[in-house]
Amino acid sequence: MLTINPKTVTFAGVTWDNVTLIAVDRAAHKTVLEWSDLGAYPILSDVPEQKVTLKVVQSVLRDDIGVPRPGESGELVFRTAPVDSDGSRRRVSCQAVVLSARHEISEAKGAVRTIELAAISSDGAADPISITDAGGEE
Amino acid sequence: MSSSFKGKNLFGSGPHRFALGKQGSLVLSNIALGVFGPGSVPLGLLELDVLVTGRLVSQSESGLWFFRDAIVAELVHPPTAGTLIDLHGRTWTGMSLITYQEADRTDRGRVRSMAYTAVFRRFQDPP
Repeated sequence: MLTINPKTVTFAGVTWDNVTLIAVDRAAHKTVLEWSDLGAYPILSDVPEQKVTLKVVQSVLRDDIGVPRPGESGELVFRTAPVDSDGSRRRVSCQAVVLSARHEISEAKGAVRTIELAAISSDGAADPISITDAGGEE
Repeated sequence: MSSSFKGKNLFGSGPHRFALGKQGSLVLSNIALGVFGPGSVPLGLLELDVLVTGRLVSQSESGLWFFRDAIVAELVHPPTAGTLIDLHGRTWTGMSLITYQEADRTDRGRVRSMAYTAVFRRFQDPP
Protein backbone atom coordinates (compact mmCIF):
# COMPACT_ATOMS: atom_id res chain seq x y z
CA MET A 1 0.00 0.00 0.00
CA LEU A 2 1.32 3.41 -0.92
CA THR A 3 -0.21 6.71 0.06
CA ILE A 4 1.06 9.97 -1.35
CA ASN A 5 0.33 13.21 0.48
CA PRO A 6 -1.99 11.76 3.15
CA LYS A 7 -4.32 14.32 4.65
CA THR A 8 -3.68 13.99 8.34
CA VAL A 9 -1.15 11.78 10.06
CA THR A 10 -1.09 11.22 13.81
CA PHE A 11 0.99 8.92 15.95
CA ALA A 12 0.17 8.39 19.62
CA GLY A 13 -2.04 11.48 19.42
CA VAL A 14 0.69 13.72 17.99
CA THR A 15 0.22 15.19 14.52
CA TRP A 16 3.03 14.64 12.07
CA ASP A 17 3.12 17.54 9.60
CA ASN A 18 4.24 17.63 5.99
CA VAL A 19 4.09 13.89 5.44
CA THR A 20 4.66 13.28 1.74
CA LEU A 21 4.41 9.52 1.56
CA ILE A 22 3.44 6.48 3.61
CA ALA A 23 4.32 2.99 2.44
CA VAL A 24 2.94 -0.16 4.04
CA ASP A 25 5.13 -3.16 3.26
CA ARG A 26 4.25 -6.77 3.92
CA ALA A 27 6.84 -9.52 3.92
CA ALA A 28 7.16 -13.14 4.97
CA HIS A 29 9.10 -13.63 8.19
CA LYS A 30 8.90 -17.42 7.95
CA THR A 31 8.11 -19.37 4.82
CA VAL A 32 6.99 -22.99 4.62
CA LEU A 33 7.91 -24.72 1.37
CA GLU A 34 7.64 -28.51 1.28
CA TRP A 35 8.28 -31.20 -1.30
CA SER A 36 7.04 -34.79 -1.37
CA ASP A 37 8.69 -37.96 -2.66
CA LEU A 38 6.68 -37.72 -5.86
CA GLY A 39 8.58 -35.13 -7.85
CA ALA A 40 10.64 -32.01 -8.22
CA TYR A 41 8.12 -29.36 -7.29
CA PRO A 42 6.87 -28.15 -3.91
CA ILE A 43 3.37 -29.21 -2.98
CA LEU A 44 2.87 -26.94 0.01
CA SER A 45 3.71 -23.31 0.56
CA ASP A 46 2.53 -21.14 3.40
CA VAL A 47 3.56 -18.03 5.29
CA PRO A 48 2.92 -18.66 8.98
CA GLU A 49 4.81 -15.55 10.14
CA GLN A 50 4.52 -12.14 8.52
CA LYS A 51 5.91 -8.67 9.13
CA VAL A 52 4.05 -5.48 8.32
CA THR A 53 6.21 -2.37 8.33
CA LEU A 54 5.40 1.23 7.54
CA LYS A 55 7.64 3.97 6.24
CA VAL A 56 6.53 7.53 6.80
CA VAL A 57 8.41 10.12 4.77
CA GLN A 58 8.18 13.65 6.09
CA SER A 59 9.60 16.95 4.88
CA VAL A 60 11.24 18.82 7.73
CA LEU A 61 10.82 22.54 7.12
CA ARG A 62 12.03 23.90 10.45
CA ASP A 63 13.89 22.95 13.59
CA ASP A 64 12.31 19.92 15.17
CA ILE A 65 13.53 18.22 18.32
CA GLY A 66 10.46 16.06 18.81
CA VAL A 67 11.72 13.09 16.83
CA PRO A 68 10.04 9.77 17.71
CA ARG A 69 12.35 7.31 19.37
CA PRO A 70 12.76 3.61 18.60
CA GLY A 71 10.53 1.60 20.89
CA GLU A 72 7.82 4.23 21.19
CA SER A 73 4.40 2.76 20.53
CA GLY A 74 0.99 4.17 19.73
CA GLU A 75 -1.75 4.27 17.17
CA LEU A 76 -0.76 5.54 13.74
CA VAL A 77 -3.70 7.06 11.87
CA PHE A 78 -3.88 8.63 8.45
CA ARG A 79 -6.51 9.33 5.86
CA THR A 80 -6.29 8.80 2.17
CA ALA A 81 -8.44 9.21 -0.94
CA PRO A 82 -7.94 8.20 -4.56
CA VAL A 83 -8.54 11.78 -5.63
CA ASP A 84 -8.28 15.03 -3.72
CA SER A 85 -11.89 14.99 -2.53
CA ASP A 86 -13.91 13.60 0.35
CA GLY A 87 -15.34 10.84 -1.83
CA SER A 88 -14.05 7.33 -1.04
CA ARG A 89 -11.90 8.63 1.77
CA ARG A 90 -10.38 5.90 3.87
CA ARG A 91 -9.10 5.95 7.43
CA VAL A 92 -6.07 3.73 7.85
CA SER A 93 -4.94 2.91 11.36
CA CYS A 94 -2.76 0.46 13.23
CA GLN A 95 -0.93 0.00 16.48
CA ALA A 96 2.73 0.54 15.69
CA VAL A 97 6.16 0.65 17.27
CA VAL A 98 8.87 2.99 16.01
CA LEU A 99 11.87 1.11 14.66
CA SER A 100 13.95 4.02 13.41
CA ALA A 101 13.89 7.73 12.55
CA ARG A 102 16.47 8.82 10.03
CA HIS A 103 17.22 12.07 8.26
CA GLU A 104 18.51 12.72 4.80
CA ILE A 105 19.74 16.21 3.99
CA SER A 106 20.46 17.48 0.50
CA GLU A 107 20.31 20.77 -1.41
CA ALA A 108 17.78 19.37 -3.85
CA LYS A 109 15.31 17.90 -1.34
CA GLY A 110 16.12 19.79 1.81
CA ALA A 111 15.65 17.79 4.99
CA VAL A 112 13.67 14.56 4.73
CA ARG A 113 12.84 12.38 7.71
CA THR A 114 11.96 8.71 7.26
CA ILE A 115 10.30 6.98 10.18
CA GLU A 116 10.04 3.22 10.07
CA LEU A 117 7.44 1.46 12.20
CA ALA A 118 6.39 -2.13 12.85
CA ALA A 119 2.64 -2.75 12.82
CA ILE A 120 1.33 -4.84 15.73
CA SER A 121 -1.69 -7.11 15.64
CA SER A 122 -4.20 -7.02 18.49
CA ASP A 123 -4.20 -10.79 18.92
CA GLY A 124 -1.76 -12.27 16.44
CA ALA A 125 -4.49 -13.38 14.05
CA ALA A 126 -6.07 -10.07 13.06
CA ASP A 127 -4.48 -7.99 10.30
CA PRO A 128 -2.72 -5.10 12.07
CA ILE A 129 -3.81 -2.63 9.39
CA SER A 130 -7.39 -1.44 9.75
CA ILE A 131 -9.02 0.37 6.81
CA THR A 132 -12.41 1.99 7.34
CA ASP A 133 -14.56 4.57 5.62
CA ALA A 134 -13.41 7.99 6.79
CA GLY A 135 -16.67 9.64 5.87
CA GLY A 136 -16.50 13.37 6.47
CA GLU A 137 -14.11 13.31 9.41
CA GLU A 138 -10.98 15.43 9.27
CA MET B 1 -0.53 -44.11 -3.78
CA SER B 2 -0.57 -43.03 -0.14
CA SER B 3 1.88 -44.19 2.47
CA SER B 4 0.81 -46.27 5.44
CA PHE B 5 1.89 -47.89 8.70
CA LYS B 6 -0.08 -50.90 9.89
CA GLY B 7 -2.57 -49.97 7.19
CA LYS B 8 -3.15 -46.49 8.60
CA ASN B 9 -2.53 -43.35 6.58
CA LEU B 10 -0.73 -41.48 9.36
CA PHE B 11 1.16 -38.95 7.27
CA GLY B 12 -1.15 -38.30 4.36
CA SER B 13 -2.45 -34.94 5.55
CA GLY B 14 0.66 -33.23 4.21
CA PRO B 15 3.90 -33.64 2.31
CA HIS B 16 6.30 -36.29 3.65
CA ARG B 17 9.42 -38.07 2.52
CA PHE B 18 11.09 -41.38 3.32
CA ALA B 19 14.79 -42.04 3.92
CA LEU B 20 16.86 -44.85 5.33
CA GLY B 21 19.05 -44.44 8.38
CA LYS B 22 22.69 -45.36 8.59
CA GLN B 23 23.37 -48.88 7.38
CA GLY B 24 26.37 -51.14 7.91
CA SER B 25 28.25 -52.75 10.77
CA LEU B 26 28.20 -51.72 14.38
CA VAL B 27 31.89 -51.45 15.20
CA LEU B 28 33.29 -50.95 18.67
CA SER B 29 36.88 -49.93 19.36
CA ASN B 30 39.07 -52.17 21.45
CA ILE B 31 39.41 -49.39 24.03
CA ALA B 32 35.65 -49.44 24.54
CA LEU B 33 35.87 -53.16 25.18
CA GLY B 34 38.71 -52.73 27.71
CA VAL B 35 41.45 -53.91 25.38
CA PHE B 36 44.44 -51.57 25.07
CA GLY B 37 45.14 -51.11 21.35
CA PRO B 38 43.99 -49.36 18.17
CA GLY B 39 41.84 -52.12 16.77
CA SER B 40 38.09 -52.53 16.59
CA VAL B 41 35.54 -55.32 16.58
CA PRO B 42 32.49 -55.63 14.26
CA LEU B 43 29.54 -56.76 16.32
CA GLY B 44 27.05 -57.19 13.49
CA LEU B 45 24.84 -55.24 11.13
CA LEU B 46 22.95 -52.21 12.38
CA GLU B 47 19.20 -52.52 12.67
CA LEU B 48 17.26 -50.97 9.82
CA ASP B 49 15.89 -47.48 10.49
CA VAL B 50 13.41 -45.72 8.19
CA LEU B 51 12.93 -41.99 8.72
CA VAL B 52 9.79 -40.17 7.68
CA THR B 53 10.09 -36.38 7.61
CA GLY B 54 7.17 -34.21 6.71
CA ARG B 55 4.49 -31.81 7.78
CA LEU B 56 1.01 -32.51 9.12
CA VAL B 57 -1.53 -30.07 7.67
CA SER B 58 -5.06 -29.16 8.68
CA GLN B 59 -7.49 -26.30 8.24
CA SER B 60 -8.15 -26.20 11.98
CA GLU B 61 -6.34 -26.47 15.29
CA SER B 62 -8.43 -29.46 16.33
CA GLY B 63 -7.86 -31.16 13.00
CA LEU B 64 -4.12 -30.84 13.40
CA TRP B 65 -4.29 -32.33 16.91
CA PHE B 66 -6.24 -35.26 15.46
CA PHE B 67 -3.35 -36.07 13.11
CA ARG B 68 -0.72 -35.54 15.82
CA ASP B 69 -2.55 -37.73 18.31
CA ALA B 70 -2.97 -40.50 15.74
CA ILE B 71 0.80 -40.77 15.35
CA VAL B 72 1.51 -40.55 19.09
CA ALA B 73 -1.01 -43.35 19.64
CA GLU B 74 1.32 -45.65 17.71
CA LEU B 75 4.11 -45.06 20.25
CA VAL B 76 3.61 -47.97 22.65
CA HIS B 77 5.75 -49.98 25.01
CA PRO B 78 6.90 -52.48 24.12
CA PRO B 79 6.90 -51.32 20.48
CA THR B 80 4.74 -53.41 18.20
CA ALA B 81 5.83 -54.18 14.67
CA GLY B 82 3.87 -53.53 11.50
CA THR B 83 4.33 -52.94 7.82
CA LEU B 84 5.50 -49.53 6.59
CA ILE B 85 4.79 -48.55 2.98
CA ASP B 86 6.12 -45.43 1.26
CA LEU B 87 4.53 -43.28 -1.47
CA HIS B 88 5.87 -45.55 -4.22
CA GLY B 89 4.78 -48.85 -2.67
CA ARG B 90 8.15 -49.80 -1.21
CA THR B 91 7.35 -52.04 1.74
CA TRP B 92 9.26 -52.69 4.95
CA THR B 93 7.89 -55.40 7.19
CA GLY B 94 8.47 -55.78 10.93
CA MET B 95 8.90 -52.03 11.57
CA SER B 96 8.18 -50.35 14.90
CA LEU B 97 7.61 -46.63 15.45
CA ILE B 98 10.21 -45.71 18.07
CA THR B 99 10.32 -41.89 18.05
CA TYR B 100 8.18 -39.01 16.82
CA GLN B 101 9.83 -35.58 17.05
CA GLU B 102 7.92 -32.39 16.26
CA ALA B 103 9.32 -29.01 15.29
CA ASP B 104 9.53 -26.23 17.87
CA ARG B 105 6.18 -24.64 16.97
CA THR B 106 2.90 -25.03 15.19
CA ASP B 107 2.83 -22.93 12.05
CA ARG B 108 -0.36 -20.93 11.65
CA GLY B 109 -0.71 -19.27 8.27
CA ARG B 110 -3.28 -20.11 5.64
CA VAL B 111 -3.36 -23.58 7.23
CA ARG B 112 -2.27 -25.09 10.53
CA SER B 113 0.79 -27.29 10.12
CA MET B 114 3.47 -29.06 12.13
CA ALA B 115 6.80 -30.37 10.85
CA TYR B 116 7.97 -33.70 12.23
CA THR B 117 10.39 -36.59 11.99
CA ALA B 118 9.22 -40.13 12.75
CA VAL B 119 11.71 -42.98 13.10
CA PHE B 120 10.80 -46.61 12.50
CA ARG B 121 13.12 -49.50 13.41
CA ARG B 122 13.26 -53.16 12.55
CA PHE B 123 14.50 -54.70 15.79
CA GLN B 124 16.90 -57.60 15.43
CA ASP B 125 15.27 -59.17 18.46
CA PRO B 126 11.69 -57.86 18.57
CA PRO B 127 10.58 -57.01 22.11
